[in-house]
Amino acid sequence: MPEIRVTPLGAGQDVGRSCILVSIGGKNVMLDCGMHMGFNDDRRFPDFSYITRNGRLTDFLDCVIISHFHLDHCGALPYFSEMVGYDGPIYMTHPTQAICPILLEDYRKIAVDKKGEANFFTSQMIKDCMKKVVAVHLHQTVQVDDELEIKAYYAGHVLGAAMFQIKVGSESVVYTGDYNMTPDRHLGAAWIDKCRPNLLITESTYATTIRDSKRCRERDFLKKVHEAVERGGKVLIPVFALGRAQELCILLETFWERMNLKAPIYFSTGLTEKANHYYKLFITWTNQKIRKTFVQRNMFEFKHIKAFDRAFADNPGPMVVFATPGMLHAGQSLQIFRKWAGNEKNMVIMPGYCVQGTVGHKILSGQRKLEMEGRQVLEVKMQVEYMSFSAHADAKGIMQLVGQAEPESVLLVHGEAKKMEFLKQKIEQEFRLLPDAKKPRLLHGTLIMKDSNFRLVSSEQALKELGLAEHQLRFTCRVHLHDPRKEQETAMRVYSHLKSVLKEHCVQHLPDGSVTVESILIQAAAHSEDPGTKVLLVSWTYQDEELGSHLTSLLKKGLPQAAS
Amino acid sequence: MESAEDWLVESLRLYQDFHAFDLSEATRVLEWIDDKGVCVAGYESLKKNEILHLLLPLRLSVKENQGLFPERDFKVRHGGFSDTSVFDLKHVLDTRLLVTSGLPGCHLHVWQVTEDSDVIQAVSTIAVQEEEGSLWPRVAIFSSMAPGVLHGARLRGLKVVDLETQKTTYSSGVGDSEELSSLQVLDADTFAFCCASGRLGLVDIRQKWAPSENAGPGPGATARRWCAEVGGRHRGPGPSIASLGSDGQLCLLDPRDLCHPVSSGRCPVSAPSPAPELLRVTWAPGLDDCLAISGFDGTVQVYDATSWDGTGGQVEPVFTHRGHIFLEDNQTDTAPLVTTHTWHPHKPRTLLSAASDASLHVWDWVDRRAAC
Repeated sequence: MPEIRVTPLGAGQDVGRSCILVSIGGKNVMLDCGMHMGFNDDRRFPDFSYITRNGRLTDFLDCVIISHFHLDHCGALPYFSEMVGYDGPIYMTHPTQAICPILLEDYRKIAVDKKGEANFFTSQMIKDCMKKVVAVHLHQTVQVDDELEIKAYYAGHVLGAAMFQIKVGSESVVYTGDYNMTPDRHLGAAWIDKCRPNLLITESTYATTIRDSKRCRERDFLKKVHEAVERGGKVLIPVFALGRAQELCILLETFWERMNLKAPIYFSTGLTEKANHYYKLFITWTNQKIRKTFVQRNMFEFKHIKAFDRAFADNPGPMVVFATPGMLHAGQSLQIFRKWAGNEKNMVIMPGYCVQGTVGHKILSGQRKLEMEGRQVLEVKMQVEYMSFSAHADAKGIMQLVGQAEPESVLLVHGEAKKMEFLKQKIEQEFRLLPDAKKPRLLHGTLIMKDSNFRLVSSEQALKELGLAEHQLRFTCRVHLHDPRKEQETAMRVYSHLKSVLKEHCVQHLPDGSVTVESILIQAAAHSEDPGTKVLLVSWTYQDEELGSHLTSLLKKGLPQAAS
Repeated sequence: MESAEDWLVESLRLYQDFHAFDLSEATRVLEWIDDKGVCVAGYESLKKNEILHLLLPLRLSVKENQGLFPERDFKVRHGGFSDTSVFDLKHVLDTRLLVTSGLPGCHLHVWQVTEDSDVIQAVSTIAVQEEEGSLWPRVAIFSSMAPGVLHGARLRGLKVVDLETQKTTYSSGVGDSEELSSLQVLDADTFAFCCASGRLGLVDIRQKWAPSENAGPGPGATARRWCAEVGGRHRGPGPSIASLGSDGQLCLLDPRDLCHPVSSGRCPVSAPSPAPELLRVTWAPGLDDCLAISGFDGTVQVYDATSWDGTGGQVEPVFTHRGHIFLEDNQTDTAPLVTTHTWHPHKPRTLLSAASDASLHVWDWVDRRAAC
């Protein structure tokens, strides 16, 4: 029976700090290294002391895998690698590798410059951390070492997001990170083959939700923009460079065309440059299958959308502007915000999560008076809208993924176990409906291919045909016992003890003094240096592993005192 | 689909708010649990059906600052499994109990929704004495200190059973074999029934069976099947009972005189309805004299009864919800059919509607007649 151990260091008990430790086939892999966006102190980082108890992280962990660039999955990485200390490989996809450091640097700036945090990772640490990154392609089998291999699968969700299969020998685990099963305008749906892992680990925050359709979300966005523009207001949409911005632009362009609207739509130039760069990255990363599912177009060849100039912000009349950065913490989007905030006809649409300390976060919390540089107070009269465009798998999506991968077991990572009981039952019912005949069973055999003939025979048969001798694997273990008597007497004591305790097994005392339990052999010998100690040699075959281990633990507990 | 995009642009002026969800299975049930959640349930006959307790997206419940709530999704708060199909589900007010009915119609099932787990547990069953083959018992709840379940597939089998003791506390005691179409509890002592034939009655359970009733729609009525609903102000003056026929005829009646409809009109629907059992007529809790009907096709229609002349001629809806037709995802030959609908308890123009393609819509229509 494969033993796979999963220890969530964050996000297991608290949604928001994804970091999961997996031990499989003797290898230790850390999945994601996220931070909790709701805390300002050490609670925002996963608890690494759990691992470091065992010694140095680099010695203990075989690799680290990052699923995508969201801070709740990679935000603690520089802290982990440079401040706690890890020098091993960090695996992620190419787009993640390109985008991660930018978000980390942004986040660092906000934490240190805006909030004045002291013990935070530095820019240099981010750079040093990224030097340890090994980028992978989709569906590429990567050998981490002789035994451990990993493979990335497309996850949808955001650019570069991947689900990872981790394999050691015949045991495998699939970790989903965040994924999405419904395609949108610029990202395809997650996909995995029937890889049948022993365990599928899936984030299940949204497992108990039923998602509103993408069309209705888009409708809501259009309605808001339209309302603002109709009343002569200006709409500011702060965005991070890629993905969402392109999607919203396509949406607005289509709508403007259909409704024959005249109000200008602008995107800031900073956006174009970054966007083109990322767009190229995106194209080379995705495979054929995915390229087919999103809109093929030259990034900013829009009829109604033009490049923005700072001076336009003062133009009268309605307009829509896409500007960076996304959390209103600096740069052009903040500049424009300051100009437009005082007019209630205007609107700002925040398309994603904002880190604490940013203007975005403050207005989303309902704050309407903001203290800016130089103690100036800005009164926010413009309409604030929070729209969530990021896509997570809901109950239906999880069922689809489980259906695709066909795992033996499913691990739902969520804050509260009692809120997962229904989904657990649903998965069990849906996927164990098949009679036992179809359930995978372990078979020991040998496939003999001769000419164009295939035969599956027992191992003994194959060895005979090939004229090979069978190798026997035996394990041996030493157990030290305090016993000053002679070896033969110790052996006798062992025999009596085991005979009374292991009633279902065949325990025998052989003429040469050794004790057998089924095929397991126990011999007592004197300790070379200490006459008061006896050494029990316990040896068993590979087939009797379980009993052998059990027996060893039993003997380690010591023997009962002999009745005098 | 091109028309879906067009309809969505249209929808910007037709609706204030609009949400569209895909359930894993279609439902014929939409039962409110307080004003924050609804129950839905599957109705397939050959498999396990899910019963779900869904919480509405937060933005539909808050009164202010709606813009700051990005959550647009339903939350599955509780779920359970039923071996039989569920055609009706009632919540027992002020308790954590649900009662379901479906086929086979020999039992009603009682379920419990607990706080510390998300599983809806089966608690007990109530035997229905008369086994009826393809008929299933309608259910209504007398909620009081000792809740009672009113049920029956035919007039003769009508009973009230105490939920806890399972003792029968009321029995119609008649031999009438007329098939029931709906049952509705009006207060602690009264309930209303509507037979499939259109015969309506109000019953006081403190007395031996003596309903005030009508004999059914007169000669010339073309509908094969009827359903009815009693509106909120059934104690006040004016018509408060609406009955809907499978030919599209909608009658309004005063409970004091069930024999003579106060007003009637013919709805522009494709008659006869392909699934008369799914016919549904509801009164808007927040708008005077407004009704909604469904069950003829993939639409829900809203009517304002005050604008009728009442003489039985064609009437026009003030609003028609066509979302289920235009947003249908799978391009199957059969158009989706709206299986049920319900009004939001206090948002006046918000409705929920479910269709045979497992879609569930929450929509808030714009009253175009309202002076701006």
